[in-house]
Amino acid sequence: MIEVRAVEKKYGRKQILKGISFSANKGEITCLIGINGVGKTTILNAIMGLTPINKGEILIDGQRLKEKMFDNITFIPDAITMLPGMTIGQAMEFMADFYSSWNQERATELLEFFRLNDTNRISSLSKGNAAKVNLLLGLALDVDYVLMDEPFSGIDMFSREEIAKVFTSHLIENRGVIITTHEVGDIEHLIDKVVLMDDGMVTKEFNAEDAREQEGKSVIDVMREVYQR
Amino acid sequence: MDVKFNNRGPVYLQIIRSFKEKIAVGELKPGEEIPSRRELANQMKVNPNTAQRAYKEMEEQGLIFTEKNHPSKITTDEKLLGQVREELIMEAVDTFVTSVRSINVPVDELLHLVKEKYTGHDEEEA
Repeated sequence: MIEVRAVEKKYGRKQILKGISFSANKGEITCLIGINGVGKTTILNAIMGLTPINKGEILIDGQRLKEKMFDNITFIPDAITMLPGMTIGQAMEFMADFYSSWNQERATELLEFFRLNDTNRISSLSKGNAAKVNLLLGLALDVDYVLMDEPFSGIDMFSREEIAKVFTSHLIENRGVIITTHEVGDIEHLIDKVVLMDDGMVTKEFNAEDAREQEGKSVIDVMREVYQR
Repeated sequence: MDVKFNNRGPVYLQIIRSFKEKIAVGELKPGEEIPSRRELANQMKVNPNTAQRAYKEMEEQGLIFTEKNHPSKITTDEKLLGQVREELIMEAVDTFVTSVRSINVPVDELLHLVKEKYTGHDEEEA
C-alpha cells in the first residue's frame, strides 16, 4: 500500500499541496482526478522522491522511500524521457542495463500488444506510439507499484482503447497502480478507487463500484457534485 | 461479449445480468465453459476485480461452478436455468405493468396493443 499522509509542498511562496492524504492499495487501480494545476504530478513526484516535501510523510508498504525501493516502484511520466535518436530496441536495452527488475519477456509481449516495431526511432514516432513506448518501458519492469502521469492525454481514441486494454490484462494484475487524469469518461469501468483533488487538497476519496451500488452514481456524477458546488 | 454499461449501476450486477440474458435465450448452454475472469475483464473492458466479483456472486447463486484447475462452467441445473428465464421475464413484465398502470389503460386494449406491437416487431426483424 502507498500511503500519503498530510503532505504539504511549496514551490517558492506558492503552496501546491495543502495537506494531502490518501492511500492506494496493491491490486487496485487508483485514479487521481483534478483539473490542471491542482498538484497531481507533484504528488507523483513526491511519492518517487523526485521533489522534497515540506511536511507530512509518504509510506510505501509501511516504509519511507529508500533507494532500494526503486526496484519495487516505477514512474511513467507524461512524456517519454529517452533520447530521441534511440530506436525502441535501444531504449529497451538502456532500461535493461539500468534496472534489475527489467523483464524482457514482458517487454517483447508489450511490443507485440501495441504493434510497435523495435527498429523505429523514438523521434520518428507519432504521439500515440510514443505514449505506448513510454508505457511499455515502465510496465516491463517487474515492480509492485506503477505511477502513471496522464497516460491518456492528447492521444487518439483508438490508441486510448489499446492503452485501456492494458489495464484489464495480466500486465497490470496484482500491481498497485496510481494514474492521474482530468478526463475519466472512457476509463470509468477500469478503476477501483477515485481520489478527487482540488486546490492542493483531497476533496473526496471513494470506491467507484460502491458509488454505483450504494448511491446509483457514476464517477462523473460524484465529480459534478464535488466540483460544482 | 459487447455490453453497453450504464455508468450509474454497479458494473458487477450488469455483468451478471448479461450472463442471465445469454442463459435465458440459450446462447450459453448448460455446462458450457465461460471465459476466465481476466478474459472477461479484457473483453468487457472492465476492472478485473469487478469481473472477479461478478463471478463470485454467480458462483454463490449457483449459476456457474468451478472445478479445481478447470475453467468455470454454466450450471447444468435445469431448474435453476429455468428460473433465470422466468426471473428476467417477470422483471420486464413488472416494469412494464408499473409504468402502464399509471396511465389507466383498460386491460383488453392493452393486451391488444401488446400483441400487435410484439408480433409486429418480430416481422420487422425478420
